[in-house]
Amino acid sequence: MVDLLYCEILKLKRSKMFLFSIMGAAAAPVMCFIGCIKSKLQYYPDGIITFGKMFSETNLYTLVLVGVTLYGVITAYLFSREYTENTLKSILTIPVAKTKFFVGKHIVLFLWIMALTLISWLLTFILGVIVQLEGLDLRILFDSLGHYLSGGFLVYLLTTPFVLITLWFKNLVPTIIFSVIITMGNAAVLNDVDFVSLYPWSATYVIASGEVVTKYPLVDSYIVVFALSIIGFAASLAYFRKMDIR
Amino acid sequence: MSPYAVETYALTKQFGEELGVDNLSIHVEQGKIYGLLGRNGAGKTTTMRMIMGLVRPTAGEIKIFGRDYHQDVEQTYSRIGSIIETPGFYENLTGSENLKILARLRGIHREDEIHKALVTVGLDKEPRKVFGDYSLGMKQRLGIAAAIMHQPELLILDEPTNGLDPIGISEVRHFLMNLCRERQTTIMISSHILSEIEQMAETIGVMHQGRLIEEIQMEDLRKRKRQYVEFEVSDENRATLLLEDKLKLMDYSVHEGHTLRIYSHFNRRAEINQLFVENGIGVSKITISEEKLEDYFAGLIGGGKIG
Repeated sequence: MVDLLYCEILKLKRSKMFLFSIMGAAAAPVMCFIGCIKSKLQYYPDGIITFGKMFSETNLYTLVLVGVTLYGVITAYLFSREYTENTLKSILTIPVAKTKFFVGKHIVLFLWIMALTLISWLLTFILGVIVQLEGLDLRILFDSLGHYLSGGFLVYLLTTPFVLITLWFKNLVPTIIFSVIITMGNAAVLNDVDFVSLYPWSATYVIASGEVVTKYPLVDSYIVVFALSIIGFAASLAYFRKMDIR
Repeated sequence: MSPYAVETYALTKQFGEELGVDNLSIHVEQGKIYGLLGRNGAGKTTTMRMIMGLVRPTAGEIKIFGRDYHQDVEQTYSRIGSIIETPGFYENLTGSENLKILARLRGIHREDEIHKALVTVGLDKEPRKVFGDYSLGMKQRLGIAAAIMHQPELLILDEPTNGLDPIGISEVRHFLMNLCRERQTTIMISSHILSEIEQMAETIGVMHQGRLIEEIQMEDLRKRKRQYVEFEVSDENRATLLLEDKLKLMDYSVHEGHTLRIYSHFNRRAEINQLFVENGIGVSKITISEEKLEDYFAGLIGGGKIG
């Protein structure tokens, strides 16, 4: 497995997708940073914006808007490139077991998403320092880091349906379209107390932030997220194991 | 120990309504070169994909090194190198980095093995060039390097010379023949180009529309090539009547361009010529020739050319 992971990471060398994903991860912190400056300069020159608020808003945009599409693209890239670059047959005939290969891809996807989550958190912190936000203390830092990492983990869990779509179509485009539709769904249910905790992708923010008022208990959100993740994982693995490599 | 590196029995693959491979039974002898010959779409690639475990057979049996191909997959397939259709590599990596990935997954950690493979195929001169910038020939060479890097006992090569120039084709051919001779590597190679297979293979399997039409030793095939004397005449119908009536010759065939091929009585060609001329049939050419393998194969697959 160590060799498999080493190879998966080597495959990203000179990959433009890695740079693109870092830019994507920076989008939410930069958007919030610009919002802070605008708010200070135009509307509330004497108002106080805290680190807590900045972290919370950035995490919201990351999980609900930018993250779904960005992580959807990364998922599609990781799994579809073996088809588009015709490399799957070379790897599987070595031989590498399909399950091992599949799990290796998931580990890399998880590490990639968590690295981007950390980049997003770190950038939020740096930009907050630059704009001289109030209320910085260790508790805020650790709490926000916990919210970011748990949010990143939950969004990773929900990449399994994206994997299934990528394996099914063997192409980036359908997965990107699917991720855009999911993001639109997020925007639609975000302020709806009936659905925000039951729609899997917005449920991640409900769980990770612990701030959103909802009609249903938190455990329902956990059930929705884990159930979809497990079903997606099982279905995509079964499909990958069964399909012919043509 | 089985004398065969690869055996298939009644191997069948159905894609929906279409039969990709139909009841195929082939035998690839250890230490020999086996040529799988057939037109595009004959089922060669699907057969190789099934042997390599990439495609599940609908029915039939595959044995590799005498054992069912599902048994001890890791041990069995680590002894095989392959190129199936276009070799696939990561576009953003150099040839060396691409080989490094495959080597690591094979458990090879020595960099010199990678370098040796690159030198063998002549790809060591541009170490910084990424695969995306490779020419078709370079891509094919890297595929060959990847297939031989771990010194396999069996090579399964699907049209490995696609995209190579004539010199490259010749180099690969000599390299593979040396590999077979010096290391006793078994090579199963597919092609739609008859001359390529003819020069290398010791056994040939001819596929057509998913079926194995013939499996034959090259030596036996060469014995089957018949000599003939060919007449180019002005009226082949009258000429054949004369052959049958006057000379009682039945062993002939009629071909395009008003030509007749007579497979016996070569020493009577002057007499045949005189007979034609005396009966007002113009003879523009007489040649003694040998039947080409191409004609033989065209006959096997029901006319037309291979490829």
